[in-house]
Amino acid sequence: MIQRIFGFLVFLGFATLPFWMNDPYILGLLILTGIFIVAAISLNLLLGYTGQLSLGHVAFFGIGAYTSALLSRGFDVDLGFGVMLDVAPKPVWLSFLAGIVMAALFGWIVGRLAFRVRGAYFVILTVSFAQVMRLIALNWVDLTEGPMAINNIPPFTLWLPGLGVTTLTSKAQNYWLILGVAVISFVLVAHIVNSRVGRALIALRENEGLARSVGIPVTHYLVLSTIVAAAIAGASGGLYTHYVRIVDPDVFMFIYTVTMIIMVVTGGKGTLTGPIIGGLIFGLMPEVLRDYARPEVQWIIYGIAIVLIIFFLPNGIVPALGKIWQRISVWGSRFVPERLRLRLS
Amino acid sequence: MKTIRLLATAITTTLTAALAATSTQAQETIKIGMTQPLTGAVAASGNYVANGAKIAVDVINAKGGVLGKKLELILEDNKSNPKEAVNAVEKLILRDKVPLLIGAWSSTYTLAIMPKLIEYKVPLIVETSSSGKITTSGNPWVFRISPTSEMEAKAFLAKYDAFQPGIKKIDFLSVNNDWGRGSADEFSKYLKTKGVQVGSVQFMAPDATDLSAQLTAIKQSGGDTLFITTGVEQMTLALKQAGELKVPHRIITTGGSFPDQLIEHPGPKEMSSYHLLFFSPWFPEKAKYPDIAKVYVDEWTKRKLDFPGLTEGFRGYDAVLTAVEAIKTAGKAEPEALRDALWKTKLPAVNGDIAFIKEGPAGQESGQNEPNIYVVLLNQGKVTMPLP
Amino acid sequence: MADSLDQFLQHIVNGVMLGSTYALLGIGLTLIFGIMRIVNFTHGEFYALGAYMAYMLVALLGVNFFFAILLATAIGILFGAVLEFVVLRRLKTTDIDSVMIVMIGLWIAMQNTEQLIWGGVAKLIPSPFSQQPLVFGPVSVSPLKIFVLATAVILLIAFHFLINHTRLGLAMRSTFQDRDVAALMGVNVGTIYTATFALGSGLAAVAGALLGPVFLVNPTMGDLASLKAFAIVILGGLGSTVGATIGGFAIALVEEFGAGYISADYRDAFSFLVIVAVLILKPQGLFTMKERVG
Repeated sequence: MIQRIFGFLVFLGFATLPFWMNDPYILGLLILTGIFIVAAISLNLLLGYTGQLSLGHVAFFGIGAYTSALLSRGFDVDLGFGVMLDVAPKPVWLSFLAGIVMAALFGWIVGRLAFRVRGAYFVILTVSFAQVMRLIALNWVDLTEGPMAINNIPPFTLWLPGLGVTTLTSKAQNYWLILGVAVISFVLVAHIVNSRVGRALIALRENEGLARSVGIPVTHYLVLSTIVAAAIAGASGGLYTHYVRIVDPDVFMFIYTVTMIIMVVTGGKGTLTGPIIGGLIFGLMPEVLRDYARPEVQWIIYGIAIVLIIFFLPNGIVPALGKIWQRISVWGSRFVPERLRLRLS
Repeated sequence: MKTIRLLATAITTTLTAALAATSTQAQETIKIGMTQPLTGAVAASGNYVANGAKIAVDVINAKGGVLGKKLELILEDNKSNPKEAVNAVEKLILRDKVPLLIGAWSSTYTLAIMPKLIEYKVPLIVETSSSGKITTSGNPWVFRISPTSEMEAKAFLAKYDAFQPGIKKIDFLSVNNDWGRGSADEFSKYLKTKGVQVGSVQFMAPDATDLSAQLTAIKQSGGDTLFITTGVEQMTLALKQAGELKVPHRIITTGGSFPDQLIEHPGPKEMSSYHLLFFSPWFPEKAKYPDIAKVYVDEWTKRKLDFPGLTEGFRGYDAVLTAVEAIKTAGKAEPEALRDALWKTKLPAVNGDIAFIKEGPAGQESGQNEPNIYVVLLNQGKVTMPLP
Repeated sequence: MADSLDQFLQHIVNGVMLGSTYALLGIGLTLIFGIMRIVNFTHGEFYALGAYMAYMLVALLGVNFFFAILLATAIGILFGAVLEFVVLRRLKTTDIDSVMIVMIGLWIAMQNTEQLIWGGVAKLIPSPFSQQPLVFGPVSVSPLKIFVLATAVILLIAFHFLINHTRLGLAMRSTFQDRDVAALMGVNVGTIYTATFALGSGLAAVAGALLGPVFLVNPTMGDLASLKAFAIVILGGLGSTVGATIGGFAIALVEEFGAGYISADYRDAFSFLVIVAVLILKPQGLFTMKERVG
């Protein structure tokens, strides 16, 4: 109960942030960090709840980004044998949704192929998938412009009540959009996790053989969670495209997968709020460090911080905070009368 | 338990305090913002350019600064990453309130920050990026002093006849990014107008170290001249390996990079290579403005920086000189005034003259400069300038 | 026709030389990944460390080239042992993801420390060999590369001897097969872990020290090496040193021929495409008997 009130207050804080912290620089930081937090939330579903170490997650991010970019700008490509595919520019919201669908489709493909193997092999397969996507984006210049990049991508245009169709130009508007998508993703993942499906996923994370033996269709659930995770990652890719407004093969960089994994694991994988806390800390830390050390040292501090957190808090920050909270409430409960205590727990 | 609490408190306090803290601004300086890749895959070049800029700032301040105030260069790392380029630029504009930017080295990072220029109305001096899109995207806040590949190709064409034996069939070995591809395209286009045939066009991934496959293919192509476009390190590898494989072509490198390691550790005896540079540090007296070039080279050497960095550092140096000239012309360090001033800015610099002509869609042109190129010949560790 | 044969032979020569060092890299990782179950992202950094140590010793301290390579390897082994002892051993978690993150953090720290100390500009390691290539008919190869090949092959043979004919090797193999049973049989698993990590990292370091003079030394050189090492491990099968050896040569040859005859831009993609194909068709790798599909 108290946790829910606390959670709601935090949400309220974030929702009203542009009003009480109107610094466009901080809003800008939160926007970019927020985009990666959405991706981290999706990775958490795969990594934390389903227990699958996917190191290719940036591929879905990139697919969502490129699809949305290409559709919103329009493209023409020679498919060989004299066949030309000519697509006119589409509205941004449609391109964005197409990006999600495309990413989900690839999630399905990867799921079907990758889940024939486990452990180390699965890890490498997912990394390879992301690398191959990057190389395709780099070399299929006819379609993706390769290293020349797709630029002049239009920003988001939404229909807002009272304002009609508006282009999101201000920081605050973009911030709320990202926040909205983040909340939807969070709720979606929470819903899955707390449902029968979620319990099946956790079961198969804990002991796949046992789960299979009680009749859980393991491959089916693995593919399902990959599709959902891919779709959400595709959404975050779409958000990136229309905020930064330029897409090049660097969007498939391995360092982005690394960033997402750091957010999930340091925050606490397998917890709902883990990716958010980890995301805020490791998304904002590099920016804060800009003022305090020279560039190489900034990175070194970042790297060592990761090691230290896992060293002292092996399960991540959120579970550790949970333990602290427990101790506080046990200590505090002595001041609360019996009936009220039961109500609040 | 204690450690957990300590760690959590430390993290939260540091982050809150750091973010909420406002940067105090010294009122007596004129700021210029610069973003370069100081870490990551292209850190070497980014650091050279940044050093060039820092030297220019010191030289200007030693002469009394500009408009009676000291110049301050605020440098932010973009970590060889377009997303970080956006973060860096937002910090420079919103936190440090710089009225003018220089950056961002790679065309991709520059393109990524261009929308921010329109959003916050701040002008940008582009010092290295070569993609045509930068000046043709309809962004009136962009002013580029570095050349496009097209300009380089045109300038090279003027020297075509100086190469004997003549250039009849050419091959390309380019890094697989917009710069390498653009260079191959433009040089092909312009040399074809002289009746030159194009043979094999090979690409290499930016981090590829083994180019034997490409070089073996080029060896078989029957061409007489090989154009190589890539950064310093890969170029050094390409030349070494071309020597080992006994590639028979005359080699010409484009883009302004010079394989300095080959001076101290020359390749095989028959190997020589031509290099198209935008600044030739061995012959500062042959620069268009030798006095300016000399100051730059002397200051660089005084600080014991790597000699080879001179071929790239001048970009940062000239960018700062341009910025200062614009500030003087405008009379004040305000973004809009600076933008208008840049159109009127003309100055002598290390590379040559700097002035901006209009380029791009009408009404939203960007500024583009037409630079000079210099051709040097490297043979057994010796550098000469054999061509007129 | 003669031309294509020349090309073919040249590709083989290039491929074999690269393959020998790739094999060392791959064996190192298959040991660490196989025995300790660690997704070792620092493997590429040990490769870079070997190269930087060789650079520092030869170019800055004037140490004899051959001795420097030996020393660089020793430093790699030592540093690996220290890392295992100080960090890995003391982790309170054996969760594969958490350990992986620690390796990622160390990777970031190591790479940027290298840049901090030596700068981002690539360094050249001067070798005592002549720059004139040796020409054997249609094929030309530099003396340095011949040295690298010879050294790598000697090391590979020595290593196989170690794994198959020494007690340490036996202990490592048994720990790989079944850690608990090995412990019951008297193997000190902790010591084996330290030895494995040290040895594996040392192999990466020697690969770096050997290839450093062939190419150039820069802070990000380890990234591609890590990825290739992972590819080799998959191809050869996790934990199989024979597999990693053959895998190393295979990947190098696939790259050479793929780049030479199909497309040079996709050179580095071939390793990945190979992995994808292997994992789809024969998931346990080409050389292991162990069942890997869960």
